[in-house]
Amino acid sequence: MATTAQPDDMPMRPNIPRAGVQLPGVKDYEQVDREIGRTLNPTKAWFGGLTLAVICMLIGLTAVTYQVHQGLGVAGYEPPVMWGVYIITFVFWIGIGHAGTLISAILYLFRAGFRTTVYRVSEAMTVFAVMTAGLFPILHTGRPWKAFWLIPYPNWRLIWSNFKSPLVWDVFAISTYLTVSTTFLYMGLIPDIASLRDRETNPVRKKILGVLSLGWRNSEREWRHFGRMYLFLAAFSTPLVLSVHSVVSFDFAMALVPGWHTTIFAPYFVAGAIFSGFAMVWTIAIPMRKWFNLKHYITLNQLDATAKVVLMTSMIVGSAYLIEFFIAWYGAVPAEQEYFYNRVFGQWWWAAWIMLTCNMILPLSLFSQQLRRNTTWLFILSLFINLGMWFERFVIVVPGLSHEFEPWQWSSYTPTIVDLSILLGSFGWFFMWFLLFVKQLPIMAISEIKEIIPPKMKHASAGGHH
Amino acid sequence: MRGIVAHFKELDSLCHAIEDLKREKFNKVTVYTPTPRHEIDDAVKAPISGVRKFTLIGALSGATFGYWVAIWTSEYWPLQLGGKAYGTWIPYTIIAFEMMVLIGSLSTVAGMFINSRIPRLVATVGYDERFSGGDFGIWVEDAPERLAAVEAMMRKHGASEVRGEA
Amino acid sequence: MTSIANTGDKPAVKRREFLKVLGASTAAGAAAACGDKPEKLLPYLVSPDHTVPGVSTYYATTCRECASGCGIIVETRDGRAIKAEGNPDHPVNRGALCARGQSSLQGLYNPDRYRGPMLRDGGELKPVSWDQALQTLATRLGEVRSRNQAGNAVFINQHEQGSFPAFLDQWLAAHGMPAHLSYDAEAPLATMSANREAYGVAWPSLDFTEARVVVSIGADFLDGWGHSVPQQLSWADARAKLTDAPRAVYIGARRSLTGLNSDQWIAAKPGSELQVVRALLGAVGRGGGVSIEAAAQAAGVTAESITSLANELRAAGSHALVIAGTTGPDARAVALAAAEINKALGAVGTTVKTADALLAYERINTTAQVREAVERMNAGNVPIAFFRGANIAHTLAKQTNVAAALGKVAFKVSFTSVKDETSELCDLILPDHHSLESWGDAEPMRGVLSLVQPTMDPVFTTRATADVLIAVAKANPATASRYGFSDYRAWISSRISGGDTGLTSALPRGLTNGSALAGAVPTARLAASASQAIGGTGEYTLQVYFSPTLGDGRGANKPWLQELPDPVTKVLWQTVVEMHGETAKALGVAQGEHVTVRTAAGELTAPAYIYIGIRPDTIAIAAGRGHAGYGRYAAGCGSDAYQLLGITENEAGGWALTQQKATVTKASALSRIVTTEGSARQHDRGIARAMSVGVLLGTEEEHDGEHHAFTGDASHEFLPGLRSPVAGDAQGDLVDPKSKDQGLYDPAHPLGLAKRRWAMTIDLARCTGCSACVTACYAENNIPTVGAPWQGPVVMADRTGFGANITRSREMAWIRLERYFEIDREPKDVAFDASFDTRFVPMMCQHCGNAPCEPVCPVFATYHAPDGLNVQVYNRCVGTRYCSNNCPYKVRYFNWFGYGEHDRAQYAFPEPLHWQLNPDVTVRGKGVMEKCTFCVQRIREAEHHAKLEGREIQGDEFTTACAQACPSRAIIFGDAASDAWTVARAAQDRRAYHVFEELNTFTAVAYLKKVNHPAARA
Repeated sequence: MATTAQPDDMPMRPNIPRAGVQLPGVKDYEQVDREIGRTLNPTKAWFGGLTLAVICMLIGLTAVTYQVHQGLGVAGYEPPVMWGVYIITFVFWIGIGHAGTLISAILYLFRAGFRTTVYRVSEAMTVFAVMTAGLFPILHTGRPWKAFWLIPYPNWRLIWSNFKSPLVWDVFAISTYLTVSTTFLYMGLIPDIASLRDRETNPVRKKILGVLSLGWRNSEREWRHFGRMYLFLAAFSTPLVLSVHSVVSFDFAMALVPGWHTTIFAPYFVAGAIFSGFAMVWTIAIPMRKWFNLKHYITLNQLDATAKVVLMTSMIVGSAYLIEFFIAWYGAVPAEQEYFYNRVFGQWWWAAWIMLTCNMILPLSLFSQQLRRNTTWLFILSLFINLGMWFERFVIVVPGLSHEFEPWQWSSYTPTIVDLSILLGSFGWFFMWFLLFVKQLPIMAISEIKEIIPPKMKHASAGGHH
Repeated sequence: MRGIVAHFKELDSLCHAIEDLKREKFNKVTVYTPTPRHEIDDAVKAPISGVRKFTLIGALSGATFGYWVAIWTSEYWPLQLGGKAYGTWIPYTIIAFEMMVLIGSLSTVAGMFINSRIPRLVATVGYDERFSGGDFGIWVEDAPERLAAVEAMMRKHGASEVRGEA
Repeated sequence: MTSIANTGDKPAVKRREFLKVLGASTAAGAAAACGDKPEKLLPYLVSPDHTVPGVSTYYATTCRECASGCGIIVETRDGRAIKAEGNPDHPVNRGALCARGQSSLQGLYNPDRYRGPMLRDGGELKPVSWDQALQTLATRLGEVRSRNQAGNAVFINQHEQGSFPAFLDQWLAAHGMPAHLSYDAEAPLATMSANREAYGVAWPSLDFTEARVVVSIGADFLDGWGHSVPQQLSWADARAKLTDAPRAVYIGARRSLTGLNSDQWIAAKPGSELQVVRALLGAVGRGGGVSIEAAAQAAGVTAESITSLANELRAAGSHALVIAGTTGPDARAVALAAAEINKALGAVGTTVKTADALLAYERINTTAQVREAVERMNAGNVPIAFFRGANIAHTLAKQTNVAAALGKVAFKVSFTSVKDETSELCDLILPDHHSLESWGDAEPMRGVLSLVQPTMDPVFTTRATADVLIAVAKANPATASRYGFSDYRAWISSRISGGDTGLTSALPRGLTNGSALAGAVPTARLAASASQAIGGTGEYTLQVYFSPTLGDGRGANKPWLQELPDPVTKVLWQTVVEMHGETAKALGVAQGEHVTVRTAAGELTAPAYIYIGIRPDTIAIAAGRGHAGYGRYAAGCGSDAYQLLGITENEAGGWALTQQKATVTKASALSRIVTTEGSARQHDRGIARAMSVGVLLGTEEEHDGEHHAFTGDASHEFLPGLRSPVAGDAQGDLVDPKSKDQGLYDPAHPLGLAKRRWAMTIDLARCTGCSACVTACYAENNIPTVGAPWQGPVVMADRTGFGANITRSREMAWIRLERYFEIDREPKDVAFDASFDTRFVPMMCQHCGNAPCEPVCPVFATYHAPDGLNVQVYNRCVGTRYCSNNCPYKVRYFNWFGYGEHDRAQYAFPEPLHWQLNPDVTVRGKGVMEKCTFCVQRIREAEHHAKLEGREIQGDEFTTACAQACPSRAIIFGDAASDAWTVARAAQDRRAYHVFEELNTFTAVAYLKKVNHPAARA
């Protein structure tokens, strides 16, 4: 009909959610409100999970307190292996975070419709993962109470931080990333909070939601500016997410440690991050769609699509591994060659092979469509990938340092109970936040799902032809 | 009576109603929709959002600040590190970039707030909770004598509910 | 006060004029030094006239850690001794000092010293007053004399030089007691006895600089055998002659530090040394009575090796030097034959200098005599026994059964100042002053009197034994008449020309002419059981040797020495059983797996350590650890090798340390070897490089094949004075010429820091790996020791026990001695081959011109100072440890625990050890990085001093602690940008190279290649 025809002078108008997805199981707007709203009712299982998470978090907290009091010696450091589990876990969680931003921002720009129903979850995952990761650089320092010196703040001594140091780049990258992704998450939530507010009967909750929704009232004007803002945030987040993990990779690439000092690190880390992030999305989304009865929202088609992304990133990461070996051989630097030999066939063969198996070999199974659509397999695979990606960082950090230029100082590394408690605690901390989130705020973008559903029309011919 | 609130179940009826209102030169019209629809954009024919200006200014000032703080601090108190120059702009590009993204995003959000007049902490007239649920809606403000015409127009386009607001 | 001018080859030490002032008022100084309250460090309210708070004063005295009697200068600050350095004027050590000598401070401040006199009461020792203690001693003496048993009394004294032995004998005689026994477990009695017979002196000085060939038959003259410092000085000077340097050959079953420094190792079976040396004797024209073939057969080596050695000896003629110091039962015969070779070649007078003999061992008694005394006690014939320093309960063969013997003695008195195994068996403890608190003298060489003076007030309420003896004698009317003088100092001064004024004027130098009372030399009758073969059964021969760091065990209570890696095995805080890889394979044990060693005398279980420098049919264990008592650092640490040895003595009455065959079986336990070694091989990294002497002679091409030259090798790009082409130290070529403000880096800056480039050269041809520099660094820079059990990681999951921190390689040594074997596979896989080369390389912060550690620090805690130092700011450090990751040399050390915080389990300086801390150096806190500073405190002190005197710093005006101590004079420190400093010239040497120069770090440390003397020079 004439009214919906697009005059040529109109600017390009994204309509992301609809691109190439249907949700046949979802009939009308009210159903969306109903079913998403339902997921917010606490259950016994949820309380159980939350308790478990808090316990793990407290174990980690105890370990941190003990370590801060005693000194880093209680961790398994074995000079010259001066970085260990904490930096490994830091990189691990930062990587987890990346998938969230990729799904919510990059796929938004690429008009990948399958993101719509999973992006809220992954975005929340991003925020909590970065919150977790951010703790590690602090508690890995010898004097955490002085860690704020890394932030350039005006002081009477006029001593600033060293902007040449990759660690200061980290400070900027991580804090920016946390701020922007949190903003992005919250902005996307505003219309949904408004919708919750309007369904809410409990006056107190209604008041709180009212404040959180900033008085959003779905007017066409709000939507117009909102859409613009959302587009620009996505446009910012896209290079940001790529820069963050590149900067993290510079922590290693800028050092002259054999095995660290390579230009391939930035792309290699970013791919690895997305790879591990998608795995974590599965780990979270697959049980969720089952327990919250949202199978008709997160459909097999969408999981299939994510599986293809995982397969691709896995192959990127795999080829990065192989290129590293090739360059070590081709570069003919003895220190480097010995390091890589030691990594794969020497002292650290077990860690290297866990990495290669989980990240290179197992994901190849995703060439089969049956497996791509088999949620059980995807879930199991996601756990393997998480393990493999943790060990990838282990293999980068520890063997490099333990086998450097100076043979007299070659060494080994074994984490202690303190390292492991803090690692456990990080998972507790992450899931604590995540579980709190899923019962307080909608885990799917209500308004965007409504965008997918064809609206009621008086004249059957109208609408939905974009 | 300040104005008329109309509920619509169907999108196309809403669009026709909007077009009619515009044709009749009703200016104080607010359209509500649970989810953004381009049909509505077409009907309203609103100008492009002004948020992008905020974005541009924020991003530029962020990048400038990033470079400035890094170079100024290292020139102010020269310390030699590994034989590198004091103010090295190439690595400082990372600082500049992150600051650009940070300030840029925040000012974008500010732009959205300013343009769309939120946060709005007081409940306003002419809104119905169903507008965030399943209903499309229109809120027309005008002189009381003209409101009757509006009501008629809404009903003609098949509004599921029409009521006046004080 | 600062260090001063370096005269000639002498190391720079402290200001001479200061010593004058101070020696003169020593008594006042000591009296003024704050001290009655050992518990608290109290600042002066009113400073004594000659002490300025924060300004050091220096006392010249004599080291008493071993018999040698080196001269030392003790730096004191506000009444506390804080550093011991060699006395440059002293003829014995010429300013150098070994690790043990420097550790005397930890003997002085040892937390396990007796705080005061103790008396056994109801089975246990209880503190008493000095009056009561002396009263008790007097009454007991009276009883003994009234029963006419005084003649059976026994007094065993730690052997020492000087007047005290004679003074003691006088006192004993006055009380009707026989002369005392002067005991030193470390004394090489067999060699001395042979020397007396062959040369007429106990210890001729060995002049390596005259030698062309040095043959050592088990004489570990670089491991502490004999007089280590003078021997090492001479050895290093000889090797530094490069093309004219002596070629060294070591004959023995285990390649000791001396062996590793020799060019050739002839791995003769234990017990075959006598035939080998007799064969050599025959070859140089005296009837040795053993054919070379027979000797080679017995020794399990090729006849060619012995033949060519004989030829070398003949060629060298009077410039040959043969030293024997085997520890078998036939040690004396071996030493005698060796001496015969020297005489036959006419080497006596050239390399063997009998004229300036060392007198350290005059009037020493043999182990046999001491053992006989103990046997008399066991027979119940001894009414009263005295011990001073001599720890016979630990150092005598276990069958001697000292504990039981002492049980049969009615009254035992100990003057020992530390709780050792012997004194804990005694009834009355009259703790002596430490030698740094006492008066005394020594006569290391004929006519040279080396003085001992107190450097500070006694730390505890102890009393000098001599004064105790005087007091006892005065209290007794019968003897009082002979003791008219007030105290021992008065007695000493009365024997010095010029009396008290003579003494006072001599004290500043610590030396005077004259002679101590020559005590009667007891003629050790030769034991009948001469040269018996090695006893016991078993397929391995056990070789016990004195640890180069702990000696016979007396060093074990000093954390510096416990944490000083053995120069050869690099093991610390632990006793290991050394065996060759082939042996380990045969036994089916891996490194660290425990083995049980059984001999006729006893058994011992300890971890196996694989050492390529030992014959497969021999195992070796270092003595020195495994104390039952002896304080918190020694007790329970390691195991006691002595318990494997029976009472077998050589002809000279010395205890044979190589006397038993042993069976070795695998035990169940496994422990990490406590070692600082990562990989024993260089992996072609070119860290410790060497060149053949042929290259210097021009007869060989230099092939640096051992070091892969990389593209971008930047060594040639150095600017004059080791200045890096980009870093801003001391060259006009600044980092950032465009920058308007160069700050301190501006050469025109008034402070003129940028004019300098502090640098160092290390001559690997001199370095023997003795590790004295390491201890010097610990002492100067307040470096914590971390290996004591209570300092280990404190989580249950962690390894605890001795060395727990070290097994996680958390040692803090700012300078470490790396020992690399030139072998192509891991030591455990190496087949036995005596011809491997060993390289020692001291590794400390290289103070790179372009330091990789600097740009990665997020908070500027480390940066490049204008004078070329790589600075570490402890207070600014947040402990990200990125700098250490990025350091190719791995010379940065992290404070994993609060080693410097007194309320922590890991505290490294328990009261009163912390009295030794250098006030000029920060004690680092938990969680910060630290590293070698090139002794920046000394640099700044010198700069300030020069400024006060309105002059420029003079060349070689001062030096770092490591360079100052080095008994090989291998380290030269200074300003490479000024020709006034020796280092500027040394860095130009054709042997100079920089480690990892391909990384373009432009280090300030230049190493001079070791020079090998492979083939025999005809």
